[in-house]
Amino acid sequence: MKKLLLTLFVVFCFVFVSFAVETLLEEPVIVTSAGQSPGALQFTVVAKMVNLDYKFDKLYKVEDVDMSQFKTFVIVVGASGKGLGAAGIDLEVEINRVLALANKAKENGLKIVICNLEGASRRGESSDRIVTTLAPFASVYFVKSDANEDGFFTTLSEKAGVPMATFEMTVGLKDVLAQYFGK
Amino acid sequence: MKKHALVVMLVAVLFTGLIATITAPTVASSNGMVAAVNNYAAEAGAKILEMGGNAIDAAIAVSLALGVVEPYASGFGGEGYAVITMADGSKYAIDFRSTAPMMATYEAIAEKGLKLSSISYTPMGVCVPGVLAGIKEAWLLGATLPLSVLAAPAIELARNGFIVDETFSQTTSDTYERLLESAFDFLNEGFVWETGSVFKNPELADTIERIVEEGIDTFYTGSLADEIDAFMVENGGFLRKSDLESYRAIVREPLHGTYRGYDLYVPHPPVSGPQFIMVLNVLENYNLSAMSWDDPLAIHLIQQALILGDVDRKAYISDPEFHDLPYEAFMSKEYAKTRLMLINPGKVFDKPYASYLGDAYPFADGSTYEEVLLEQLAPVMSSARAVEESPSTTHFSIVDKEGNAVSWTQTISSFFGTGTYFKGFFFNNEMANFASSYREGDVINLTGGMRPRTTICPTVVMKDGEVRWVLGTPGAGRIVSMMVNLVVNLVDFNMPIDQAIRSPKFVGYSSYTDLRMEEGFPQSTLDFLEKILGHKLNIYAYPDLFFGGPNIIAVEENGMMIGAGSLRRGGSASAPEF
Repeated sequence: MKKLLLTLFVVFCFVFVSFAVETLLEEPVIVTSAGQSPGALQFTVVAKMVNLDYKFDKLYKVEDVDMSQFKTFVIVVGASGKGLGAAGIDLEVEINRVLALANKAKENGLKIVICNLEGASRRGESSDRIVTTLAPFASVYFVKSDANEDGFFTTLSEKAGVPMATFEMTVGLKDVLAQYFGK
Repeated sequence: MKKHALVVMLVAVLFTGLIATITAPTVASSNGMVAAVNNYAAEAGAKILEMGGNAIDAAIAVSLALGVVEPYASGFGGEGYAVITMADGSKYAIDFRSTAPMMATYEAIAEKGLKLSSISYTPMGVCVPGVLAGIKEAWLLGATLPLSVLAAPAIELARNGFIVDETFSQTTSDTYERLLESAFDFLNEGFVWETGSVFKNPELADTIERIVEEGIDTFYTGSLADEIDAFMVENGGFLRKSDLESYRAIVREPLHGTYRGYDLYVPHPPVSGPQFIMVLNVLENYNLSAMSWDDPLAIHLIQQALILGDVDRKAYISDPEFHDLPYEAFMSKEYAKTRLMLINPGKVFDKPYASYLGDAYPFADGSTYEEVLLEQLAPVMSSARAVEESPSTTHFSIVDKEGNAVSWTQTISSFFGTGTYFKGFFFNNEMANFASSYREGDVINLTGGMRPRTTICPTVVMKDGEVRWVLGTPGAGRIVSMMVNLVVNLVDFNMPIDQAIRSPKFVGYSSYTDLRMEEGFPQSTLDFLEKILGHKLNIYAYPDLFFGGPNIIAVEENGMMIGAGSLRRGGSASAPEF
């Protein structure tokens, strides 16, 4: 019995350590918006706080990016009609732009973070559509807690078997970044 | 000393919460009423009424409070217009619209390698702010309480903070990129202010206190003017102390128009009082009360009249100190008949809107439409342009228990104006309301000292000499559409004020080739407008701030006042509980 417990403990520790190592993210990081809400720009404010090595453009196009230069791709999701309008694009064009980037990131072995930074205000038909479209690419979710009150992100992360980190306030993302990037 | 003690006592009472007010989206009271786009601001005005202040006192308190709770929509860096009707029969229109700084010229902008359209979000886009000069004129006209008392609610809100509402959060979010660059200190440690968080602005509290202590003139001729001058020099703006020193708010009698037996008191140019009256003059010829609010024919007729009014606005509305335009002829019933003749009840306009420009000049001598049309005069210069404007600006309405009424609209133009943040407030970007480049004969060419044209339209409606409704709205180019929608709802469709505000709205505006409507009209109405009358529809979700955020106070025959806040912006009415 003792032996069995010891074995289980060793297996548990192994799984835990493997999981933790696997989900640890690396720099440099490439950041873009998916939906053109201001969340992506707010991400960069937090990224500066933890001295994250990142490059950001809310409208990166796949042909303009050398993904091999990066280790992690952060997609900050949030559909904004005003933001899309200002960029002169519609939701379909936006989704296709980010999908192309995600595919390229996956080919180059980058970890992909899907991040909701603006909480419940970026939940809705368009924002949810972006998230579910990108879900197959997710290595990890960073989610502001009030965006997950209905368990939407929990369901996605559990279904894909990828971790999810939540935070209460926007600035709380700082701790999540510090943890995941070992800062 | 006695006076000082009284002030201290009044302020103490204000803060101890002994003053009771009732605040809700719709409120009824016979003790006075304030309706605004924000509950804190409405409550600030109601507190002043409860303390014994009159409508002008309350208006000053609300104006200052709005600058705190909606720093994105108005404040010391902005301007506006107020229409006041006093119970003794006197009526005032206070024009505290901004003026172009003298150094601001097309040449000066071009020398920097820029165009007027590209300076909107820089200190160069700032015009001379008029809000404090407007407050001073209002105070001189009839306030009864000292500025220190009237400013107390605003100082308290700025110092102790208030809960951020959805509009505050959304506008911050929509403008985040610009704010991050130009107004980091305004943000919540670099982030968007979220709904439910507490916003404090101690810097603005200090600024208000300083203005109370040093007097309003400090902003125009004193030490604060020096600091504004230095700030603008350092940041490349055109505004100088000399512009502030020469700025004056202008007090006139409001313009007067009528609609189906009601008297409307509206602003002069360079804002849209004449345009509002012109559209109503056209509509007066139709029996709209035989239709309903959702009748496609009524919507069509109103929308087409609005387009004609807006086409004419571009020719007949400008700063009257700089352009002698026939705006009184533009407001005449006879001229309206010539515009009526252009509207086809069964079909939309089929030519570019600018080609429908009317000629109001011949009506300046009182000629009838038959006489004028027989003479067939040539049209005047048009300056049509298409600009997408933000639903910014703010409005409030006040009636006190004596029957004094104030309708007050103030703005910094776009939400957050230029984004130029100074001592807790934002400077306006009114420069964008001048022509984007010099055009021969245009009435809105950028000219130093001139007031730019906008569409605000604070209004007092009277019946048989008594105040009936006080109303107004933010909403940029949609303001006159909203105002006409409201008056037709109230007068022709006999709606109570909350229903008049709530009913879905539509826009007639010469910059839009489509018919923009809020959700809520029956499908049969939409089908008829599209398939029979030929409108291209553009449907917005309901409610949408795009259409404006009006508030109204109604005064019933028994003296009961009913106030309704701005549904589309989370506003409230507030009344004192004596």
